[in-house]
Amino acid sequence: MNSAKKFFQNLAKYLAVALLVFIIVSPIYWILVCSFKPTRELIRVTPTFVPHTVTLFHYVGLLKETGFMTYFLNSIYVATGSAVLVVILTSLAGYSVYRCRYLGRRFFFNILLAIYIFPRVLLLLFLYPMFARLNLVDNLLSLVITYVGITAPLNVWLMRAFFTSVPLELEDAALVDGANRLQILFKIFLPLVAPGIAAVAINSFLMSYGEYLFASILIVSDRFKTLPVGMAQFLQQYEISWGWLASGSVLIILPPVIAFAFVGRYFVKGLTAGAIK
Amino acid sequence: MIEKIKRKVLEDPLFGYFLIIPILVWISVTLFYPLLRAIYTSFLNIEFLGETGRFIGWDNYARLLGDKEFRLSFVRTLVWSGANVLLQIILAFFAALVLDLEFKGQKFIRNWILLPWVIPVVVLAMIFRWMLDPTLGVVNYVLQNTNAISSPVPFLGSVDWVMITAIFVNSWRWFPFYAVMILASLQIIPPQLYEAAKIDGASPFQQFCYITLPHIMPVLVPVILICSLWAVNVFDMIWLLTRGGPGNATQTFPIFIYQKGFQEYRLSQAATAAVFMFIFLLVYGTIYLGTVTLEEK
Repeated sequence: MNSAKKFFQNLAKYLAVALLVFIIVSPIYWILVCSFKPTRELIRVTPTFVPHTVTLFHYVGLLKETGFMTYFLNSIYVATGSAVLVVILTSLAGYSVYRCRYLGRRFFFNILLAIYIFPRVLLLLFLYPMFARLNLVDNLLSLVITYVGITAPLNVWLMRAFFTSVPLELEDAALVDGANRLQILFKIFLPLVAPGIAAVAINSFLMSYGEYLFASILIVSDRFKTLPVGMAQFLQQYEISWGWLASGSVLIILPPVIAFAFVGRYFVKGLTAGAIK
Repeated sequence: MIEKIKRKVLEDPLFGYFLIIPILVWISVTLFYPLLRAIYTSFLNIEFLGETGRFIGWDNYARLLGDKEFRLSFVRTLVWSGANVLLQIILAFFAALVLDLEFKGQKFIRNWILLPWVIPVVVLAMIFRWMLDPTLGVVNYVLQNTNAISSPVPFLGSVDWVMITAIFVNSWRWFPFYAVMILASLQIIPPQLYEAAKIDGASPFQQFCYITLPHIMPVLVPVILICSLWAVNVFDMIWLLTRGGPGNATQTFPIFIYQKGFQEYRLSQAATAAVFMFIFLLVYGTIYLGTVTLEEK
């Protein structure tokens, strides 16, 4: 009786887990499988859930015949640049709001949180003329500047748990030893919160890497397009190539997934700790 | 002595200001400058991008509120956001409850549940447009073969279906994010509470209502607020799935503003709608700011 009950409890548990995994994985599985199918198998009326023939045909075609590599490098450039700048700005700001006491600290923190309420389209409407005047339209720098602005503030929040967990005594001791505050920040404090910095880096990298709205307006010429825009465009231009769509999707997904595999757990930790006050 | 130094560590206002100035300068340029320009422009009559325009007071606002297309997009925004929040919180709750169980691979799944969030929206939109296609899509194929439906459903092609489809796709991307946060709050509930409740003969449902819910409320409230603020702001997903169509069936605020600004080039009207959206979010977000307090050391 008891063991039967236990069996059904376990069964229910694993069914729930399986359902969750299915919800998450199925679309990704599908695109992965499709990217390896030859064209005639792709457009069959009865789809195959496991490919009958495996081919790299679409990958080769995509890399050879489209600007995929150019878009890809642009995206990596923009995302890396944004991530580096966001890390610098938020490390400083995080130290300021979490480790220093001064008048207006709460006010500044609230301003950073207020980014939630800025309609992105609004920003775009007037960033475009601003960049035009600065001669930065059709320049990847305009994307970096924008992405840092819209992703940095929230990342300060992501650092909270890491920044508040370092004991103040460490800084005291260093002050006694005669170190100045900048030395303490860079040589003692920041190395201790490296996981928090990794969380911020992956978060801003992912947001900048996949951003579409700003990239679609601020970049004009093909050689500066980032992946999301370039991809969306060449798929609309001609008759849609399902093979390219699938293989392109897989290739776009790859860098963020690899990055997440390395430091994703820090992001999860930051999110987890940020949720609980 | 130690106390004195501790105070020195904490209280060094100049250093604090010095460190926060770079980010403040940056967001002044990229966030506050566009906002001020938008407010200014909403009082001008720039009918076409590039004109200087003339001050016309509140005329743009009056015109906007009288515009049926705008009013409809407001309603759509409410429907879109409300449904997204509801669905995402339900899915996140389910996921969090599952991930709170003990099973093999639990640690792994707890991190990788964020997979949909890791993938760029463009890719998701393309994948789902393909999968949901009436003729080539695998979803329609499966549904027809299991006799769930008799003829293919135009998930993104019909006015009746498009909104609900877009809501599901968007929720699929975002729910893991909130699941992680809700899971965090589930894990700090002391297990003794459940044991005590069991001894007292409380049913699982009662345990949920009287132990689980009260404990996750402090997290759930800000999560719901963040979730709704982000839902209102969604542009990429809707645009890439539907372009606001068919008809105007998925034309929410951001889509409306984008079309006015970058397709019709009516800058003043776009700015007015954007300022309206900002005020809407500001009113809503004030509640959010009230719930998040800066932790004291």
